[in-house]
Amino acid sequence: MWWIWGAGGVVLFVSGFAVVAGPRRRQRATERRVAWSAARAAIATAAVSRDAAGTRAERDAEATELLRRAEAIAAARGGPDAAHEATELARAAERMWRADD
Amino acid sequence: MIKQLLGWVALAVAAVTMVVFLTSQQSDFKVTYAGSPGGSTTPSGGRGSATVPDTAELTRLLRTSPVVRLPGAIAQWDTTAVGAAIGDSGLRILVTPPGLDDASTQRVQQLKDADLRVIGTAVSTGTYAVTGTELADWRDQFATGDVTNDLLLLIAHLRERPEPVQKHLFSWRAPTAAETAVVAADLRSSGFHRGRGSTVTSAPRSSPAFPNGRALYVTLPLQPFGRPVPEYGPALVKLFPDTPIVVMYGAWIEYYGPHAADFAEIAAATFYSQAERVLDRLAYSQQGVLDTYLNRVTDVRFAGLFDRPLPYEPPDPLRVTRPALPWVFVACVVLFVALSLRPMVRPVWRRSRAVAAGTPAQLAALTALAVEMSALTDRRSEPALARALVTLTAARDASRDDLPDEHVRALLRDAEAELDRCARLLPYRGYRPAEYLNGRIA
Repeated sequence: MWWIWGAGGVVLFVSGFAVVAGPRRRQRATERRVAWSAARAAIATAAVSRDAAGTRAERDAEATELLRRAEAIAAARGGPDAAHEATELARAAERMWRADD
Repeated sequence: MIKQLLGWVALAVAAVTMVVFLTSQQSDFKVTYAGSPGGSTTPSGGRGSATVPDTAELTRLLRTSPVVRLPGAIAQWDTTAVGAAIGDSGLRILVTPPGLDDASTQRVQQLKDADLRVIGTAVSTGTYAVTGTELADWRDQFATGDVTNDLLLLIAHLRERPEPVQKHLFSWRAPTAAETAVVAADLRSSGFHRGRGSTVTSAPRSSPAFPNGRALYVTLPLQPFGRPVPEYGPALVKLFPDTPIVVMYGAWIEYYGPHAADFAEIAAATFYSQAERVLDRLAYSQQGVLDTYLNRVTDVRFAGLFDRPLPYEPPDPLRVTRPALPWVFVACVVLFVALSLRPMVRPVWRRSRAVAAGTPAQLAALTALAVEMSALTDRRSEPALARALVTLTAARDASRDDLPDEHVRALLRDAEAELDRCARLLPYRGYRPAEYLNGRIA
């Protein structure tokens, strides 16, 4: 009967760990996917703006560079931070292209 | 909330169960006979005070005589039988009084010339000692100081002869009418008869050893060796029926009366087997022997074996519950595991309904609007429509990938803003999402 105590203790520990770690892991994954979804949308939107603006925009070179960096980050994948950075870069580029809108 | 609380309660109960289990692991060695009020059951011999002459004197005495009896010696034996056993081997015997002090005991033990040493009634060769194994052995030894069998056994051992057959020289005789009358008169008046030479000064007035604490006590000194000993018990039982009677010969105690057949032997055997090693070599007072014996009888009686039923003891709840502890613990563990696994399993069937009902409808409506507008756009409004379509595609993908509703709605808001911008550039009215969707829904 003594093994019940040891086995029960291990099971309690593991399930307690799972209770804390499971949702946290799932939330992280969701956060990451949301961030990338937003990043992809921002990059696609920026690409549309670039095509619409053509080379007329004043800061075309700078904006192109920013979008290129955003695409490079997206290509390398990564965590939510990378996704947020890519989103910010794409939005900054889009603002430049749409300055004359 | 309730489930979370339940999980914590299960965890707490499991922890308490484990702590109780761990703390109950200590063993309890205390044994009581139903709370017997009896005191010590082993006579604790004090230090002796008797002395023997110095080694040179003892050696001189032993050289002059094969058997040396120092003053105060109480051991007796069948001299013919022992003499025959010794034969011409020249074994020498030193007999001392009981209760020697430490120095004297050491002197006697180290004496080279003594082959057999008798301290009190304890017989030894210095290396080997003899102890009794039967009640009759102890009766011989303590009632009359008879050590014949012990001597014969050790002599046979020293001479490497076969073990002799034990003979008991002790014999009972019926007491004469006059003897019985004297004892009975004392017992009637005070419940206690002290034989001449007995050192018991007073009998216990009341002892837990007997029901109502009442018993009759007869104490007699060590009996002369070789003569039949008066057996007062049966005669007194006739005179005092249904009364416990304790008769003491020297350090030997006989019990007569109620339940004698049941427990007298048990009490005597447990008492003398334990007390022998103290009683035989120490000058232990008759009073002390009697008190210790009564303590032993108390223990035996409170063990509930004989006339006294065991007192009711309510069961210790902890002791009764303890076997259930592992199962309580397991139940708590299972409950906790079930409660903690639930939220991990639940999202699978909950996810399908997780998306609020309005989101797909809004996505569909905005997409329909975008498709309708696509036929009307010009160069100025096209980028906005394209951005809206790109964002709508992202929203559709996010919705398909089960991403949170807020994210999908945020994308839809962006798309709606682009469509609105696009609609304002169109020459036609009614395409701004707010109007269009309202009309749709209406």
